[in-house]
Amino acid sequence: MTGPTSELVLFQVGARTFAAVVHDAVRIGSVRDVPADELVLETALGAPSARARGIVVASHDDAVERTLVVDQVLGTRSVPEEHVHPLPAFAAVCLTSGAVTGFVLLEGDPLLLVDLPTLVRERATEAIA
Amino acid sequence: MSTRDPFDLQQKPKTRAAAPRGAATKKRNGAIGAEAARIAVVLRGIAEGNYDGRVDAETIEDPGLRAIAEAVNGAASATEADLRQAHQRVQIVTAGVDEAIEAMIRLVIQGDLSGSARPGSTDAALTPLIAGIGQVMETLKKFVTETREAALQLSTRSAEVLAAATQNESSTSAQASAIHETTATMEELKGASHQIAENAQMVAAIAEQTLSGAKQGEGAIKAFMGSMEKVRHNAVEVDDAIAKLSKRVERIGTVVEVIDEIADRSDLLALNAALEGAKAGEAGRGFSIVAAEMRRLAENVLESTKEIKNLITEIREATHAAKEASDGNKREASEGEKLGGNAMASVSGILSGIQETSDAARVIHLATQQQRTATEQVVQSMSEIEEVTRQAQAGSKQATGAAAELTKLAERLAELVKRFKVE
Repeated sequence: MTGPTSELVLFQVGARTFAAVVHDAVRIGSVRDVPADELVLETALGAPSARARGIVVASHDDAVERTLVVDQVLGTRSVPEEHVHPLPAFAAVCLTSGAVTGFVLLEGDPLLLVDLPTLVRERATEAIA
Repeated sequence: MSTRDPFDLQQKPKTRAAAPRGAATKKRNGAIGAEAARIAVVLRGIAEGNYDGRVDAETIEDPGLRAIAEAVNGAASATEADLRQAHQRVQIVTAGVDEAIEAMIRLVIQGDLSGSARPGSTDAALTPLIAGIGQVMETLKKFVTETREAALQLSTRSAEVLAAATQNESSTSAQASAIHETTATMEELKGASHQIAENAQMVAAIAEQTLSGAKQGEGAIKAFMGSMEKVRHNAVEVDDAIAKLSKRVERIGTVVEVIDEIADRSDLLALNAALEGAKAGEAGRGFSIVAAEMRRLAENVLESTKEIKNLITEIREATHAAKEASDGNKREASEGEKLGGNAMASVSGILSGIQETSDAARVIHLATQQQRTATEQVVQSMSEIEEVTRQAQAGSKQATGAAAELTKLAERLAELVKRFKVE
């Protein structure tokens, strides 16, 4: 791998695997150690079942950390940037959530690329609404 | 006894004849001898029962001899007359006796004893005879009368004897038949008794075998109860071992939980390390590789602890099943001990009953043996009685025949006695 790469963290919610930029994740923690009001359980990605891990996400505006509850964190991967694609315009129009920003081809399989701060914020907005 | 003829004068002792006399004397003596001889001849005839002879006394010279001759002649004549008279009397008496006997025979033949046999002669010499005949007739009449009565009684009694003998023969026949049937029955009883004795012996043997078997069963139940006690004891030990094992497994589970927690935290640390390495870009590449390796190790540990948890779960389930099986074994052992106790009590009762049965069978066997012996003796006695009865039956038949014959004879005797008329 000689070209520029994107560092991604892969995680599972339900049966699906998603990818996110590593910088969106502050750290990875245990769900047991986090107060319940700081957990983000159900998002546009769905509801986790095992709830084994929590990805701590830093909000852009209020600097508050939120823990996105996922079923599993698979690890980090370095992916060539040509394998990272923005979301097609038609797909972006169809999606109600703005957290899905594109997709990544990982070993030929496309994975949705998720903007974790947006996802957490959308959930917080929905909760307030 | 002397054979000397008393009239033979020539046989006088020679001492007299030899006396020395003269010739005249000798001649005279010779004449006397001749005359004496003549007298001797007559006397010899008289002695022989010839009374017809006489001595011519006129021709005898010797006066003494003449007197003797005359005396001999007189004696002969007198004797001859007496004999003649006696002969006549004998003829009369004989005729009277013959007449009396003939009359008596005639009366006896005619059977008429009512009259008297009196001969025509009235000779005194016949008086005793007539009296005797009369006495005989009276005795005969009395005898006939008594005989008639006796014949009548004999006829009656013989008829009774015949009836009794007939009855006795009938009874004896019935008795013989009954004894024969009894003997046959006793023979059957003997066979049955023999069979009963054999069956009783068999029952006694079976009872002994059953007793032996029951005692073996008692021993087996005791051994079974011992085994149940051991099973219960082992089940308790297994229960304790399972409890200890369960505690150990729980302890292992706790340790595995700790390991799992450590592995989870290690995984988390490795993830964060990898995350930080990725954030550092090319500089954190090596760090990310180490973190990935750490994470793999942590995941291996987690996989192992997961397998251990699965194994612990299986062990818990197996232990629980073993505990339940052990509890079941204890319950079954207790139940087995109870059942063994009940079986032991039952077998004790059975043993007691079998012992009584065996004793009773032995007593029955002994009794049946005695019964068989007694029956054989009874059969022997019945055979002897049957033989005696057979002989008695034959004797009874003979007695009946004899009684019938006796009855006929009595009737015949009565008929015969009836011929005699006594009144």
